[in-house]
Amino acid sequence: MAGATQDFSQFDISKEEIDKLVAEVVRYVLFKTHQNSGCPIKREELVQLVTKNYSQRALPAHVINAAKEKLSNAFGYELRELLRCRPSSATQGRSTQQTGVAEAKSYVLISQLPAEVYKKYVEDENSAHLSGFTFVVISIVHLAGGKIPEDILWRHLKRMGLCETDASHPVFGNAKQALETLVQQRYLQKDKVNGPEGNTLFYELAERALDGPVSEKMKEYISEIVSKDVVPVDVDEAE
Amino acid sequence: MPSLNWKHHALVQALMTRGPLKEKDFHAIFSGLTGKSPGAHQGLFNEYLLNINKELSSCQFELRACRDQYVGQVCYGVVNNVADEQSKLGTKYTVQQIAFFKGILEAIAQDVIAQGSISNIEALNIRLENQVLSTQGSQLLNGPLPAAFRNFTMSQKEKTLDEFVQDQWLCCTPDGKIGLGVRSCLDLRGWFRNLDVPFCEVCNEAVVKGEILCPRCGLKWQNQLPKAEILDEEEEANDAIQSQPAQRPKRKRTKTNETHEKDAVGCGSSQSSVPNSDFRRITRSSSRPASQR
Repeated sequence: MAGATQDFSQFDISKEEIDKLVAEVVRYVLFKTHQNSGCPIKREELVQLVTKNYSQRALPAHVINAAKEKLSNAFGYELRELLRCRPSSATQGRSTQQTGVAEAKSYVLISQLPAEVYKKYVEDENSAHLSGFTFVVISIVHLAGGKIPEDILWRHLKRMGLCETDASHPVFGNAKQALETLVQQRYLQKDKVNGPEGNTLFYELAERALDGPVSEKMKEYISEIVSKDVVPVDVDEAE
Repeated sequence: MPSLNWKHHALVQALMTRGPLKEKDFHAIFSGLTGKSPGAHQGLFNEYLLNINKELSSCQFELRACRDQYVGQVCYGVVNNVADEQSKLGTKYTVQQIAFFKGILEAIAQDVIAQGSISNIEALNIRLENQVLSTQGSQLLNGPLPAAFRNFTMSQKEKTLDEFVQDQWLCCTPDGKIGLGVRSCLDLRGWFRNLDVPFCEVCNEAVVKGEILCPRCGLKWQNQLPKAEILDEEEEANDAIQSQPAQRPKRKRTKTNETHEKDAVGCGSSQSSVPNSDFRRITRSSSRPASQR
């Protein structure tokens, strides 16, 4: 059970104890992902599962790596590591290409199944609306350069039938909460910027949306959509 | 440990993402992935499930099947086998809702006429104060019950009941009552044992619906007999059978079996239907899933 590629011989711990630790981490990741609807899990939470009973310094890293292997071999999930970004206003002076300084590591579960297999057999059609919402919002923010004022974002969403004030939308329920969920899931992050007219709230892409595979796929899908014959519309136009 | 490929993973992820699946849907996924139907390739299907369970067991999970006791439908699901600190994260229900759920399960399991269901009114009248609650670890809650439990309103109970049905922990039976949902059947076997719910010695499922009295001597049969079918001698040789609901053990059809569903009235030939001579009995040890051995 302990990862085939992980060498635990340096630790004075039995194989059974290692297996138990790895299973605990795997179970924690699976149950926590379910409980918090896919929000990233902080690495520190996984480390504490090990350090609460064991003090060996390098043990948590080994156990987490073994848990990664187990999740991949048994379930077909990648335990993908993300580096938490800080809002761009907190990193002034840096290149505009960067969105922030990496702070803490976190993890999300990503299916390793081929996309067409996942879509055909695994995808829960009851949650398809959430995936669609996520894609649309991330796309809008991406097309706006990675960062967009809150009111402009809602203006675009309103054109698609979702108002900021909708508290009982037939599909999304509370619209503001639906957007807030994307922040909790780290697709977006909020940034308050001081300006001449006071504070303005911005939404910008966070580490989950900036992660390589997600970002590449998103650009691909956007290209597919915009390559069709559509009439360009000025984003500043009022409804 | 066997190596699983993307087809195994697709089966596991389908159940984990979409929840328990009816047999026909699960079989359809298997057929789509492998190009072979479980019906015609039972050995291959069993091998897939066995290999999946060998991997899942190291994390205390299991791919299991159960038969709905109300309509007889088989469902598959990935279940958790251990109630530990990690699994407590797996619920979105509040402590009050969980206490309410426990009350409903107890009412269903302890129903003297063993209908396997209770009415909506009975469910709504369950009092949380009667539940024994646990705090961290295994300590019992001492002292007066928190107000949150006493004040769990009827409206909250109604809403919670709907959630339980939607999430398949409970179900609406064909006669409009509240019964055990497929998730409860799959997930809560250990809890049923603690409640001294009898387990069928043939199919090893918790018997919440139906209790048979021998019409000859009045002796209670604690285990519900399955419908009469022909016993298949090959079942015992197949290790993977424990991953599925035990194939209904088969025996020669007797007249008396037809009366079982009517709570056994009549006598005479009933003696022959006592589970001994006319059919081969599958003992609990042979029918128990591998993960429980």
